Amino acid sequence: MTEIELLSWARGPGLQIATIIFVAGVVIRIFEILVLGRKANLAEAKGSEMSSGLRTIVTRTIPDRTTFRRSSVTIVSGYVFHIGLFVTCFLSAPHILFLKDIIGFGWPSLPTPVIDAFAVVTIIALVATLVNRLTNKVMRYLTNFEDLLTWFLTFLPVVTGYIAFHRIGFTAPSLLAIHILSVELLLIVFPFTKLMHAFTLFIARWYNGAISGYKGVAS
Amino acid sequence: MSASIEKGINALKRQVDSTVAAFFSSCVHCGLCAEACLFYTETGDPKRTPINKTEPLRRVWKSEFTLVGRVGKMLGLTKKVDDKFLEEWQELVYDSCTLCGRCSMVCPVGNDIAMMIRKTREGMAAAGQAPAGLIGATTRAVTIGSPMGVKWPALKAQIKHVEEDTGLKVPVDVADVEYMLLLSSMEIMNFPEFIEAVAKIFNKAGVTWTISSEAFEATNSGIQIGVSDIAAELVQRIVDVADKLRVKTVISPECGHAYTAIRWDGPNLVGKAFNFKVRHILEVLDDLRKDGRLKMASKETQKLTYHDPCQISRRGGVIDEPRNLIDMISDNFVEMPDPGKMNWCCGAGGGVSANERADEIRLKVFERKKAQIDAVKPDAIVSACSNCRIHLEDGLEEYNMDIPLLSLTETLAEHLADD
Amino acid sequence: MSEINNDTDFRDALESLDDVNQRQVAALFVEHVLPLSSDKRLERVVKIAADVDAASEEVAGALKTAHAATFESHARCGAEGHWSDQAGYFVARAAVAATTPVENSRAGGPAWQAAMSARMAYTSMLIENAPDQSAHTECEWQYQSLSDYLKA
Repeated sequence: MTEIELLSWARGPGLQIATIIFVAGVVIRIFEILVLGRKANLAEAKGSEMSSGLRTIVTRTIPDRTTFRRSSVTIVSGYVFHIGLFVTCFLSAPHILFLKDIIGFGWPSLPTPVIDAFAVVTIIALVATLVNRLTNKVMRYLTNFEDLLTWFLTFLPVVTGYIAFHRIGFTAPSLLAIHILSVELLLIVFPFTKLMHAFTLFIARWYNGAISGYKGVAS
Repeated sequence: MSASIEKGINALKRQVDSTVAAFFSSCVHCGLCAEACLFYTETGDPKRTPINKTEPLRRVWKSEFTLVGRVGKMLGLTKKVDDKFLEEWQELVYDSCTLCGRCSMVCPVGNDIAMMIRKTREGMAAAGQAPAGLIGATTRAVTIGSPMGVKWPALKAQIKHVEEDTGLKVPVDVADVEYMLLLSSMEIMNFPEFIEAVAKIFNKAGVTWTISSEAFEATNSGIQIGVSDIAAELVQRIVDVADKLRVKTVISPECGHAYTAIRWDGPNLVGKAFNFKVRHILEVLDDLRKDGRLKMASKETQKLTYHDPCQISRRGGVIDEPRNLIDMISDNFVEMPDPGKMNWCCGAGGGVSANERADEIRLKVFERKKAQIDAVKPDAIVSACSNCRIHLEDGLEEYNMDIPLLSLTETLAEHLADD
Repeated sequence: MSEINNDTDFRDALESLDDVNQRQVAALFVEHVLPLSSDKRLERVVKIAADVDAASEEVAGALKTAHAATFESHARCGAEGHWSDQAGYFVARAAVAATTPVENSRAGGPAWQAAMSARMAYTSMLIENAPDQSAHTECEWQYQSLSDYLKA
């Protein structure tokens, strides 16, 4: 297969397959959760479930002071790479063009040097989270194959994207194909792993807020 | 109750609902829950990480309720839940957790981990993996009516003593009153002054109340061991009597888990909403304060701080009321660091103090509480749970710290205005 | 026949005593129920409390011992409770009250607190052995003791 053929496949059938598996997988996972339902609460309520749930979705983003002091490396490195992922994915010009083709509209992008800086910082932060995961006593105990796999599959697109953009190493089409394939790999594996938290954390946080809010506690 | 691994697994299956599924789906193994748990922070042992304690439940959820897991089970790739595994986990689920819920407050993806550990206990108990001390307490609760074996004649004698001391009558089995007071065995045995305090306050406030000779026990061992059927039976006894006497409100005394059991779990355990309200004694006292029916004649002068019993504050919702009440009797009150809903557990609730095997770790984790107390250096500590009180006293004694523990209700009664 | 025959007069009389006398009277009350406790250390605590010339460090030491006795004798949450053991717990609490300085004492003063705990000890013993009997005899003994003490 020539590199152009590879790129065409990645952009065409590859993307279609990955997207179908991703969307179907996410829907099934969310369905699996919601279909179980939960029993109605028969105790006398002290607060509102809905509003407490919605509030916790937002407030759980901010750690309390003691927790932050005790886990600052985990929290900071985590936030940095999440923000970095968001910026490099959704605010870089080539990505916005790509999405515009699919959804019909785009939005302003950030200048290339800025995106570059975010990409580098994201890579550093991701490496930091891996080191943390392997050296922190608790994380080392909890870490399994899936944690390492998902780290790798998240890391790969950022690195291959940076390399592709700066045309380091191979020719442009090859690098681009590799980058797109790495994203497709991520999309395919995504629904079967903890990466689902990107969607399910809204449900989990809502439940947490609702359960506590029912008792009059803001969680 | 006959136990088996099949019963255990089935019990765990029954515990899985959308909340459990959402929580396990979202966990990213970040480890923040460990740093919120005093059983980890004071021992440094990573297996005490809260989410790790739920592993039995997680394995059942994964292999029974997810497509991925069911496929994996068919391919023989699932991690087993057998007697050996549960036996290994017993110490984590019972000795190293008080169900305090601090982990549930810090998990970044929003998991209510304490709730999941409580659910995990259902499986452990059904599989015969609950600690002997808890099994004893639960058996006594079911057969005698009290986990510590306190029978009505004993309480009657305590009540007589209270009546002689105070010159007040303690109403027993009176119908159509506002309040029915429950008591925990711990209070009846160790702190009978609590009954005196309530009698004095209610007498001054003109409250109509009663204690029932048929259902006076507030402690619910079923909740602690994790057997909902037993927990339901214990609640039903209270419901039957409260309905019979047509009381408006049942009062939960100064005992942490008793409040959770009757206030929040109760109706869900018995499957029916109550015909009466349930309030913690502090909520009742705060209501009296708001109505102007609680008047103080004097104040404490020593420097006070408040220990929030986990099941009453963070898991119960009674956070402001104690502070309003302390305000009435103190101008010298200081909060501990991490006060209110983020307060640290004393280390003895949720069945830990009834479990002799957990004695050593219980005293070890007290160091977290000690650190909070050291930061404030109070003259006395106020709280509202007899178990916290006894355990804090034990811990303070162990570390040669001479700081008295005060019951909030008893302290209010001491300063009650005479007129 | 005791001149003091009700709790109001009893408590007032106790509170009007000076610190050392309160301690002595408290010691009397504890000593009377000492047989209900199996903790031998409390004998020494009572001796110190009863001693007019006891130095404050000695009393403080006795208080510590009494505290330790309460922790070792209280009923554990969830454990099977034995009222005869609880009697010992309340004897220890009475000893704590007797050796607590007046300024740190709970409402009513050390002697009143010791009297209350001593009565509780007696009640506990009765719960186990004679549930229908009243603990009032202990009250009466305390009234009489105080009357005799005041006369002396």
